[in-house]
Amino acid sequence: MKKRGIGYASTFYGTGYGNGFPDISRAIAELGTDGNIYIYVGATEVGQGAKTILSQIAAEALGVDFSSIVFICEDTSITPDAGTAAASRQTYNTGNAIKLASEKLRNEIINILEKRYGISTENIEDYLLQVAKLNGDEALRMDGIFTASTTEMDAETGQGNPYYPYTFSVYGIEVEVDTTTGIVEVTKAVCGQDVGRAINPKLIEGQIDGGFSMGLGYGIMEDINLQSGRIKHDRFTSYLIPTALDMPDIDKIIIEEPEATGPYGAKGIGEPVLVAVAPAILNAIYNAVGVRMKEIPVTPERLLKALKVKERGV
Amino acid sequence: MKKIALNINGEEYVVDINEDMRLIDLLRDKLHFTGTKEGCGEGECGACTVIMDGETVNSCMVLAFQAEGREIITIEGVGNGEALHPIQKAFLEEGAVQCGFCIPGMVLSAKALLDKKPAPTRNEIREGISGNLCRCTGYNKIVDAIDKASKYLKEEGETK
Ligand code: FES
Ligand code: FES
Repeated sequence: MKKRGIGYASTFYGTGYGNGFPDISRAIAELGTDGNIYIYVGATEVGQGAKTILSQIAAEALGVDFSSIVFICEDTSITPDAGTAAASRQTYNTGNAIKLASEKLRNEIINILEKRYGISTENIEDYLLQVAKLNGDEALRMDGIFTASTTEMDAETGQGNPYYPYTFSVYGIEVEVDTTTGIVEVTKAVCGQDVGRAINPKLIEGQIDGGFSMGLGYGIMEDINLQSGRIKHDRFTSYLIPTALDMPDIDKIIIEEPEATGPYGAKGIGEPVLVAVAPAILNAIYNAVGVRMKEIPVTPERLLKALKVKERGV
Repeated sequence: MKKIALNINGEEYVVDINEDMRLIDLLRDKLHFTGTKEGCGEGECGACTVIMDGETVNSCMVLAFQAEGREIITIEGVGNGEALHPIQKAFLEEGAVQCGFCIPGMVLSAKALLDKKPAPTRNEIREGISGNLCRCTGYNKIVDAIDKASKYLKEEGETK
């Protein structure tokens, strides 16, 4: 028999390395001799969209067009360390460092225009080449450093400020459970994700879809099957991840509540978008068939076993 | 050693191969069509998808000699290097690409699907790419992109 159920989960997630671990991003903003703006950061783009978002932040801070930003990352011989692309920290931490460096550069350009040319303007875009030529072969460079706020928790009391800022989410998921096979199908989902400020809504949607499929796999499919320290499910034939057929279309709700310390109010959402999926699915399974699954992934075997136990009333 | 002739992206090739050489190795290592990716090497992920005589195959599961006399399309044969193919254009516009590793295979699966079925439903699109694993995108924007590409191709057909 097929039974439907709905489950919700709400989560909060702390950005950054946390628990007092030094969490620093550095960036350089440069007016190149060719009149383009160069941003140097040692931040890694793995497809999440850091290059796009960080370039957008630079363009906004400088008040220039996105297309005049040349974004240079990953090459460690010419970029300052901006930390890892992990802990959902690049938009917030490195975004802040870039914003600081870009604002300094903008102010310097405004100063130069005023002092050297007697031009008083807020619109630097048209004068970039003119200012760039002033210094000959030397580019105008400014750096920005951002240090995240984190303290170690007190081991005794568990008190402290391990993370800042936090990101919140509420997901609602509908499942269909086949009580004969134990297969759980995710049929519908609504994802409400707080982002502080959406620097690039399309990229956020892509992160929600991607995080959702990871959470779905985590909740009902992906089992590394660790035995005596060895991963038994070490290939895609045994370690199953969602395919396009396993994913529902998702109704995404991006919630903007600007974070005062974030670059233009933005927070990181790379990991937060994943967290609520598995608990919401497990709650939906409970709602559908009345069993509380306490172990993930909820594979068909595990669920059938739990359904049998419930039937026997033990 | 064995000599085979095959057509790749519209051009004829005659190549020497070992009997046990896989098609993916012929494409990548010998002929340098490196757009074809190897993910798992065992027919599960679809990163190595190419089109052979109109059907998608996992090129890691096909031996090179089996491609004798066949017509192969790799990602290098989609679009002309200058202008994007409507499928590629739609992928870019919809934000369907994240790390990109699955994308050559996805685009080819989409092409094989749309060549056969110009106006698929969303579920048919999901079926069409269900042999291609993606760890990043959660597939939804890829489905959106293929849906959009089918409209582009229809418009293109109408103006021709
Ligand atoms: S590399 Fe061929 S299917 Fe994975
Ligand atoms: S975009 Fe990364 S695997 Fe598909």
